[in-house]
Amino acid sequence: MIGFLVQRLIGTIPVLLLVSLTVFSLMHLIPGDPVQVMAGEVQDPETLARLRADLGLDRPLYVQYAAWLGNAVRGDLGKSIRTREPVTDVVLQRLRPTLQLSAIAMLLAGVVAFPAGILSATRRNSRIDAIATAFALLGVSMPNFLVGLLLIFAFSMKLGWLPTSGYVDIFADPIAGLRSLALPAITLGMALTAVIMRMTRSSLLESLSQDYVRTARAKGLVERRVVIRHGLRNALLPIVTVVGLQVGNLLAGAVITEYIFAIPGIGRLIVDSVFARDYPVMQGVVLLSVIGFIASNLVADLLYASLDPRIRLS
Amino acid sequence: MKARAYPGSRIDAGRMSRRALVGGGLALGGAAALSPLAGVLGGPSRLAAARQDAAAPGGSLRVGLYLDAATMDPHFSGSKVDRQIYFNVYDPLVTLAEDLSIQPGLAESWEAPDPTTYVFHLREGVTFHDGTAFDAAAVKVNFDRMMDPELKSLRRGDVAGIESVEVVDPLTVTLHLAEPNSALLATLTDRAGMMISPAAIEQFGEELARNPVGTGPFKFVEWQKDDSLHLERNTDYWMDGLPHLDEIRYRVILDDSVRIAALKNHEIDMVDYVPPKFVADTRADANLQTIDIPSLAVWFIWLNTTAPPFDNKALREAFASAIDIAPIVERIYLGIGKPANGPISPASWAYAKDVPVRPRDLDFARAKLAEGGMPDGFACAFKTEPTPSNLQVSQIVQAMVAEVGITMDIIQVDTATQIADTVAKNFEATWSQWSGRPDPDGNTYQHFHVNGGMNYGGYDNPEVNELLDQGRVVSDRDERTKIYGRVTEILQEECPAVFVWHPDEPKAMATNVQGFPPVPDGMMRFATVSLD
Repeated sequence: MIGFLVQRLIGTIPVLLLVSLTVFSLMHLIPGDPVQVMAGEVQDPETLARLRADLGLDRPLYVQYAAWLGNAVRGDLGKSIRTREPVTDVVLQRLRPTLQLSAIAMLLAGVVAFPAGILSATRRNSRIDAIATAFALLGVSMPNFLVGLLLIFAFSMKLGWLPTSGYVDIFADPIAGLRSLALPAITLGMALTAVIMRMTRSSLLESLSQDYVRTARAKGLVERRVVIRHGLRNALLPIVTVVGLQVGNLLAGAVITEYIFAIPGIGRLIVDSVFARDYPVMQGVVLLSVIGFIASNLVADLLYASLDPRIRLS
Repeated sequence: MKARAYPGSRIDAGRMSRRALVGGGLALGGAAALSPLAGVLGGPSRLAAARQDAAAPGGSLRVGLYLDAATMDPHFSGSKVDRQIYFNVYDPLVTLAEDLSIQPGLAESWEAPDPTTYVFHLREGVTFHDGTAFDAAAVKVNFDRMMDPELKSLRRGDVAGIESVEVVDPLTVTLHLAEPNSALLATLTDRAGMMISPAAIEQFGEELARNPVGTGPFKFVEWQKDDSLHLERNTDYWMDGLPHLDEIRYRVILDDSVRIAALKNHEIDMVDYVPPKFVADTRADANLQTIDIPSLAVWFIWLNTTAPPFDNKALREAFASAIDIAPIVERIYLGIGKPANGPISPASWAYAKDVPVRPRDLDFARAKLAEGGMPDGFACAFKTEPTPSNLQVSQIVQAMVAEVGITMDIIQVDTATQIADTVAKNFEATWSQWSGRPDPDGNTYQHFHVNGGMNYGGYDNPEVNELLDQGRVVSDRDERTKIYGRVTEILQEECPAVFVWHPDEPKAMATNVQGFPPVPDGMMRFATVSLD
């Protein structure tokens, strides 16, 4: 187990290097200059040249990358070109709202998707199954920005139950926090709910058709126990895989959701830093996302082992 | 030019009723707090009431911004939205009135003994938010910070004509210019004239970007990036009885629909800008007042006069004559603003009233194509950022010029690419949205003088160069109006650019927001604003 973890951690190093190099190259391949963007509509070439030199942007690209890497290894991700704040601070500050939003979205997805998935698998072709399938189709098909605007229209404008936008930290003020994150979390969780529900349904259907389920039924177990203990447990592996991969999609979805609901999170930071060509921030965010993605897959791997004793981590 | 009251500094008589209203708000807020469920699922009115209980007599104004500010340091600011906040934290030396006249600010009065010397007499007893005194030495520190090439201030271009700053006595400061500049005072009504506390400059350095210290009606409290910015009343403000408000809370709401929804839902009291497609909606809302503020801006299509095809004047004329401006403004911008006849907006005193908008004339366009040696038309490319309205304009123009055989490709680029390509003259035609300056020089010299810092079309016309030089030396408004009128005529005839739109900048606010001064620079100055 420990050996497995160490091995996996060492394995992430080349991935991080490769990703950072790719992002660095891509960012510099696209035209545009952070200093020009910062100056806005008034461009004074002389001042901008001095600024560029100041920020080291006039050095050859490989020198810039090497300098960045050298600092990054020592834990210094540099300063934002646009705001001159340390990248680590900026990223960690924005991580908080995104984590809260994603956590609630996942929680919502789990609470809705598992029971609905189990119901539609055990009552296949029933009315419940049809409704759940329709919802799932809607959930994966409707883009986030549409879901978000529809929710705002219904729950904020028409019913007046929840604020249209804004962010309140859940730990600072739980009620206001939940109110502010309710609509965004539903928006973000919608597609995830649909995917988990469909995965639960098909995976459970498959395991319920296995011999060991017939055996369990034959020995007289209650149906509930058959489904939960024998069916669902064996059906969980593919679901865990999908959920692990969906964490990456949550981040992508957060870009749009955070934009619509005015939440100061990582998603917006990515977009803003790309548009501003804020290279250090961009690098920092990507690094963080990769680490998050690797971590969520690692957790999925660990879960495999605990769900299925036949799988050994080595 | 002697001191007069600050524009719009009337004390309104509605404060008692406001107090009564807040009392009611407190009671409602208390009731809401009794029931936790109501707190979670309470309606908008209860939400508004609950928020009002934080408000003392002057109240709290909640303002929605379309973008977050980039920095709180005016000397290093390149973003327009930064200024929305600066005008409440900092005071400029001179201020801009609704009629674009220059009024006293931190300078009580000023005189120009000769065209290259400006003497400013400063207001006595003004202190910065950190308690230090505002005086001539502070003015010098600010100008020196903008002028020092080593410090790389983005204001350096604004103050480029200033040779030196001389402290005459604690309340008198003299600016010595290299050459006459009639636009100087107008420049000093904005970021270049805003005074930062020298002690704060010393203390914070680069960190001033997050710790603004000015003399303005409101003091900086807190800034949550991309979320909110909080200002509170400056109790020691130098203008008696101002400001009225206790605090201002800015919120960043990027999405236009959501920002307007938040306004209609009473989650915010005011927005900095209502995009054209929402104007009918906010006007129809009885709880809102919508003010059309004509802006100084001009949106135009740059034609690159240094490379084919638009280095050929006849082809530029053919292109411009194939475009019908009026329907673009009417259909796409929904008539919010005016079709442009040149670079200077109708909001300016220097607007060329007698110059008509260039008419569409397809016969003329065809004749010019023949004259330019391209009787069957030519191909060109137009660069634009892909916002919905930009793309609509591009497509309409594309269809219009196609009628005379001009094939126009639309190339979509993002902001950073657009700026880089424009500055590098790497374009044939490109979209430009200039926010405008209070003095006509700011809408003309930089773009169309051969020495202009932002003459991206590479335009060079000796008569225009001379007229624009004159415009800087002459100070009489009537004479300058004639000069800029002539410039407008020549620009329209020669087409280094196709002028399209002078946008209005409508602002919408709740009906209880009173005393807002609609200055055509689009800035929200809250010193005189109150909630009734």
